[in-house]
Amino acid sequence: MQAAQAKKIVASPFLLFEDWMTVGVGLCGQVGIVIAKTFYYILRMQIDWQESLRQAYFIGVKSFLVVGITSLFTGLAMSLQIVMQLVQFGGESAIGGVVSLALIRQIGPITAAIIVAGRVGSSIAAELTTMNISEQIDALKVMRIDPVKFLVVPRFIGAMAMMPVLSIYSMAIGLLAGMIIAQVVADVSFGVFLDSVKSTIIDQDFYVHFLKSAINAAIVIFYSCAIGLNTRGGAEDVGHAVTRAVVWSMTVMFIVNYVVTDLTYEGPR
Amino acid sequence: MISVRNLRKSFNGREVLKDVSFDVWPGEMLALIGPSGCGKSTTLKLITGLLEPDDGEIVLNSKEIGLVFQGSALLNSLTVRENLALALRERKLPKREQDRIIMEDLTLVGLADYVDSFPTQLSGGQQKRTSFARAIVNDPKIVLYDEPTTGLDPVMSTIIEDYMIELENQLHAAGIVVTHQFSTWTRTAHRAILMHDGVIVWEGKPDDAMRSSNPYIVQFAKATKDGPMLTGTI
Amino acid sequence: MDSTVRKLSNGLHPIDALDKWFSDGVQLIGQATLTAVKTVKYALAGQIDLPEVFRQANMIGVGSLYVVGVTGLFTGFAMSLQISRELAAFGADTSVGGVVAFALIREVGPITAGVMVAGRVGSAIAAEISTMMVSEQIDALEIMRVDPVQFLVVPRFLAALVMIPALSIYSMTLGLAGAIFVAQAKSNIPPDIFLDSVKQTIVGSDFVTHIVKSLINACIIIFFSCAIGLHTRGGAEEVGHATTRAVVWTMTLIFIFNYIVTALSNLHTS
Ligand SMILES: Nc1ncnc2c1ncn2[C@@H]1O[C@H](COP(=O)(O)OP(=O)(O)O)[C@@H](O)[C@H]1O
Ligand SMILES: [Mg+2]
Repeated sequence: MQAAQAKKIVASPFLLFEDWMTVGVGLCGQVGIVIAKTFYYILRMQIDWQESLRQAYFIGVKSFLVVGITSLFTGLAMSLQIVMQLVQFGGESAIGGVVSLALIRQIGPITAAIIVAGRVGSSIAAELTTMNISEQIDALKVMRIDPVKFLVVPRFIGAMAMMPVLSIYSMAIGLLAGMIIAQVVADVSFGVFLDSVKSTIIDQDFYVHFLKSAINAAIVIFYSCAIGLNTRGGAEDVGHAVTRAVVWSMTVMFIVNYVVTDLTYEGPR
Repeated sequence: MISVRNLRKSFNGREVLKDVSFDVWPGEMLALIGPSGCGKSTTLKLITGLLEPDDGEIVLNSKEIGLVFQGSALLNSLTVRENLALALRERKLPKREQDRIIMEDLTLVGLADYVDSFPTQLSGGQQKRTSFARAIVNDPKIVLYDEPTTGLDPVMSTIIEDYMIELENQLHAAGIVVTHQFSTWTRTAHRAILMHDGVIVWEGKPDDAMRSSNPYIVQFAKATKDGPMLTGTI
Repeated sequence: MDSTVRKLSNGLHPIDALDKWFSDGVQLIGQATLTAVKTVKYALAGQIDLPEVFRQANMIGVGSLYVVGVTGLFTGFAMSLQISRELAAFGADTSVGGVVAFALIREVGPITAGVMVAGRVGSAIAAEISTMMVSEQIDALEIMRVDPVQFLVVPRFLAALVMIPALSIYSMTLGLAGAIFVAQAKSNIPPDIFLDSVKQTIVGSDFVTHIVKSLINACIIIFFSCAIGLHTRGGAEEVGHATTRAVVWTMTLIFIFNYIVTALSNLHTS
């Protein structure tokens, strides 16, 4: 399988593209089925709340450190660049506004989403594929339990519950990094920074931020679950499933993120 | 009972099962034997409905099927108790009654002390026995075993075979055991079917296997490399 | 409270998780450093299997072409949409190109490409090498006195040093093209005005920053995913864990080093 693919890569990127499209269309079908089934169970309130709580806890614990670290460093890097530019034009008082605009409107949601895809999506894909190749999923089916109801629904509910928390947490750390940089590099006090944030950011920005995070979390859960539930084979395939889950969920998120940005734009400040 | 007629199944254009028919009566254990990759597990998956046949017919007298998977297939995130409770879920029993059935079931396979352990804390033989307990917790009228003794040491194999014989007497179910371990099918089964190349090439009592003149079963039972089953095609 | 948390988490208490994360991290950094030292030693000694380097370059480069391209393009779209609308409102149409290009080349471009390559290449390498570990293929190599670092890591490293910066530039180019397209379509900024602004704003050192960042990304991706792969034992489940770890670690480190380079390059210019 791998050797065949290697040959194809050497042969022609166009063949690879065809392959990519075929796999993509198949995957979209599988994702569609998982989404439809998940909402079927949720609408009928067939939800295992205790398991959902457990999944929310796992998603939170797993993401807490990495989301914190990456938000911190993204905040530091973004604000450093912005501060260096604005200082040249004497725009110190606008630093808070520009940093928060960049963080909340664009960079923040996509950064958090990338990390959730890398951390949560990859471990869900690994876990479900391992269950699949060790026939645990077949065992569920023999007991007439739908794997979507048993495995996907609690993960989806858990992710939806954790998402606003992680989202606010990531935003807060990013802004804190911005405040530190503004203070250290441009001597802008926390008060001036926050005043600028307040006069720039409106409620709409928070709603869009939450909307984006919710959509991104859903993409990660549905793609990694669909891939996990449809991968068969051996140890090697567990690894491939993780790669596919990360790559596909990130790619789809980038595309959807743009569409949402376009649709929700309300006009400049 | 289990009744299988003219079963056909291919994967990616390759015909794994070409034409397979057999019956298993209540209280009977049928051994499905044959070289690796000849479609034994596929046959079990078709019977349980995990796979759909391309053609043919499967008639079962009961919806309640117990399947012991080759690799145990216990859910690693649940304790032994929760694994069994999952199988009992549809009966909606009161908690106390459910616990009673679970303990009774585990006592039968000698694992009552491990009811709150996680599968990863058990040895291979213990996992296999837990998987037994899960398969029979609903008193199924059909029990299927996929290589129940493969990968176990000879002593544990004998213990597992003894459990199979005991369960057979208790449940009076129609059973199929897939295996290529000689002691397992000769000890536990009443009848055996040898599969090769997608069809049944021999059928008979285990005791007759060594005396038969059928070249397939002679080769399989004596484990020689000379015979109609070429290793290249296996 | 404490017992509830334990029950919920099957014993994975947040403090334990932090503790384990930290000690695993220290160990992993040591393993990655050792792998890096050995790799550079072999590479400098000229013990290089060139055909294998080309094969790996092919896998890394061509294999990532579509994902890196699509994400680069859509990053360009999104950046340009936001920035052109904000700036157009202040009548600053003429500086849109500069700001977008600045953001794409120095910050967002390297991070996006780095993260995508970490997801695509880093995880594939960790999956491949950890599968070789659990199926005892690496033990077989060692019995034949072949150093797995020389055999597996060196070709991947050399291939990545060329291909990852190339992918990064490719992603940036597509991003700029996408940005020009969106600025025209959504905010009526003609391509030549956009490009004029790019030319006025971007200097040579911005490209240097970009290349430096992508080279660092390449080192992080290769050394960490190889080190994780080479220290995996167990079965299929561990292959999954190894791949997940590789993704998380390489992405996190890419974010950290991205900031360090940003800080150093700003120190240099100011
Ligand atoms: N889901 C599947 N997809 C493709 N091929 C399969 C699938 N399941 C089984 N096969 C193939 O069918 C053949 C029979 O498999 P199986 O029934 O597991 O054999 P065994 O007799 O050893 O249990 C094997 O060659 C296997 O590779
Ligand atoms: Mg089998």
